[in-house]
Amino acid sequence: MIKIHDLKKVFENKKKGSVSYKEALKGISFVCKPGEIFGLLGPNGAGKTTALRCISTLIKPTSGNISVNGFDVLKDERKVRSIIGFLTSDMKLDGFFTPDYMMDYFGRLNKMTPEAIAERKEILIKELHMEEFRYKKIDKLSTGMKQKTSIAISLIHDPDIIIFDEPTNGLDVITAKNVTDFLKKYAKEGKTVLISTHIMSVAEQICDKIGIIIEGLIKELGTLEEIVKSNNTDNLEDVFFRYLEAQDV
Amino acid sequence: MFRDSYIILKKELKRLFTDKRTVFFMVGLPLIMLPLLYTVMGKISQSRSADIRSYHGTVFIAPEMQKESPIYEEFISIIDEQMNVTINEIPEAYIPTAKDLITEKDAQLLITFPDNMDVAYEGIKPFDVHIYYNAASDYSSYFYRRTHEAIGSLADTLITLRLESLDIPTEILTPVTANRTISYEEINLAKKGSEVGKAFGVLLPFIIILYLFVSSMQVGIDTVSGEKERGTLAILLVNQVDRASIIIGKLGAVVCAAFASAISSVIGLMIAGKFFLKDLFRSSAEMSDFILSANQIFQLGILLIPVAILLVSLVLICATYARNSKEAAGLVMPLYMVVLIVSIGTSSMGETVPSWMYFAPFINTVVGLKSIFIKASSWGNVLIAAASSLIFAALLIYFMIKMFKSEKILFRI
Ligand SMILES: Nc1ncnc2c1ncn2[C@@H]1O[C@H](COP(=O)(O)OP(=O)(O)OP(=O)(O)O)[C@@H](O)[C@H]1O
Ligand SMILES: [Mg+2]
Repeated sequence: MIKIHDLKKVFENKKKGSVSYKEALKGISFVCKPGEIFGLLGPNGAGKTTALRCISTLIKPTSGNISVNGFDVLKDERKVRSIIGFLTSDMKLDGFFTPDYMMDYFGRLNKMTPEAIAERKEILIKELHMEEFRYKKIDKLSTGMKQKTSIAISLIHDPDIIIFDEPTNGLDVITAKNVTDFLKKYAKEGKTVLISTHIMSVAEQICDKIGIIIEGLIKELGTLEEIVKSNNTDNLEDVFFRYLEAQDV
Repeated sequence: MFRDSYIILKKELKRLFTDKRTVFFMVGLPLIMLPLLYTVMGKISQSRSADIRSYHGTVFIAPEMQKESPIYEEFISIIDEQMNVTINEIPEAYIPTAKDLITEKDAQLLITFPDNMDVAYEGIKPFDVHIYYNAASDYSSYFYRRTHEAIGSLADTLITLRLESLDIPTEILTPVTANRTISYEEINLAKKGSEVGKAFGVLLPFIIILYLFVSSMQVGIDTVSGEKERGTLAILLVNQVDRASIIIGKLGAVVCAAFASAISSVIGLMIAGKFFLKDLFRSSAEMSDFILSANQIFQLGILLIPVAILLVSLVLICATYARNSKEAAGLVMPLYMVVLIVSIGTSSMGETVPSWMYFAPFINTVVGLKSIFIKASSWGNVLIAAASSLIFAALLIYFMIKMFKSEKILFRI
């Protein structure tokens, strides 16, 4: 369970003496429950990655509260990190090693026993169809293979909370389906899944709850039907564009 | 916490030491570089001096002499015997042209005798011979030196003649001599090997620190700024690893790499020593004389490990602050210069060490290294040096941990 209350994040940019401020998140609140997939949907620069980074303790909120399974991200940083699996596209893997080695490595850093690592590794490799490239150098893998490896590594310790930033970016339909099926399965098992995306079809197809975020503010929050109904249309795209057009004026 | 550091250290070492290129640059290159450098330098200087000695030069002598002057004939015969030159006797009017030729390096020497030479000699008055040469030419300088020596021999001959004509024994001129009746090996009382150690005392601390720094720069910048740049560091940060563990693990790996490189450079220097020592010392000094005792090797370790940690921390703190490898290299470069200048300055210093140097961090390590190589080290100073390196390293590591916790530094765009 992730609870976010009035989260604000201001970035400070120092350039040649002058300081400018960028308010990336202007106070967002939402709750992400176990067993459901929550999707943050928004255009480029809306603040999706910033929000997910705050939840995963990589950066600190300027104000507001975030609790993950009851642990505060500021007070229990390490505890929070131990129960989340976090993935963003700007986190890359050292190309020198193999997926198999990297899973071992992060398993050990997550204080797992060698037996637990071996067992978990086999499960992930099977679920993500990584058999044929598990012993290849990551440098030599395709984008999709790398993404699967990143996913496997972020979930090696079988976290209760899964936070993925644009998990299907750059993937072909088959690989993307593999990943989304995988996420659905995990949600069904009772895990809390939070993803961000700028692709409406992804949000429509896999998210149980959607939050539309634009310019650091959540404009709509609810299930797909709720959002669509309250806006008197029959698809998400219309809602989305309505907000974007309102923005331009 | 140390368990995580160990896991990270192992992974970093695996990455470093299974990469053939890195291993070659860190270990292989210093091992072959120094012997190669010294061999080439030795060969060049050898062939150069051989070339100078075999060069056939042109010498002008003015003014044209009456053949009957005995002094002149004696001088010519000495020159002829000792130098590989063609002697051209020229009239006084030709002197400016001869000078021009020497300036242009077309001739090497002009020797002018005073007119009244024989009269002066008879009247027991000293006379002055002028030797003109070109200091910018190696050949001319060489003939100049040899001519100086020839004048010396001429003087000796003339004195002997004078004394003989007066029936005085020539020994009257040398009431005392030094070390004529004893061998060099007998008079040199230096500890066996300490002479070689003295030469190494200047070279080795410098070489060791140079290689420690250069390889920590190569490896250290990549493991932190490089990872930051490539985005591979962030993934470690979202795991439950402590920031301090990451730093200690990476620091340990870089220290190992720096050490491997420094040690192979020392071995390289030892190999080189086998070739160039002979030219450096006139005595029978041998590489094999330069053996450190177990105690000294222990002291070496006590000095080197802390200073390696200090140098690596310096590099890593720059690498942590920088946005990318290029910026990191820019930040480390000035530090590198300072470290080099300080270590050259300190290691080529005289024998008396001002006492503040034992307390100045880093400088005291160079002083300590040198004292070990000349076999004059003291435990007190070695321990002070080690402690000061460790204290400074700890401070740097503390700041690095702070930086690792700051999103402003880790997520700068
Ligand atoms: N470290 C930072 N320093 C300064 N500004 C930042 C920083 N990180 C993000 N921003 C700014 O915050 C805003 C939100 O960025 P964010 O990366 O969260 O957007 P996003 O919704 O993930 O977009 P995208 O779909 O392009 O990934 C942007 O205007 C960005 O320029
Ligand atoms: Mg983003």
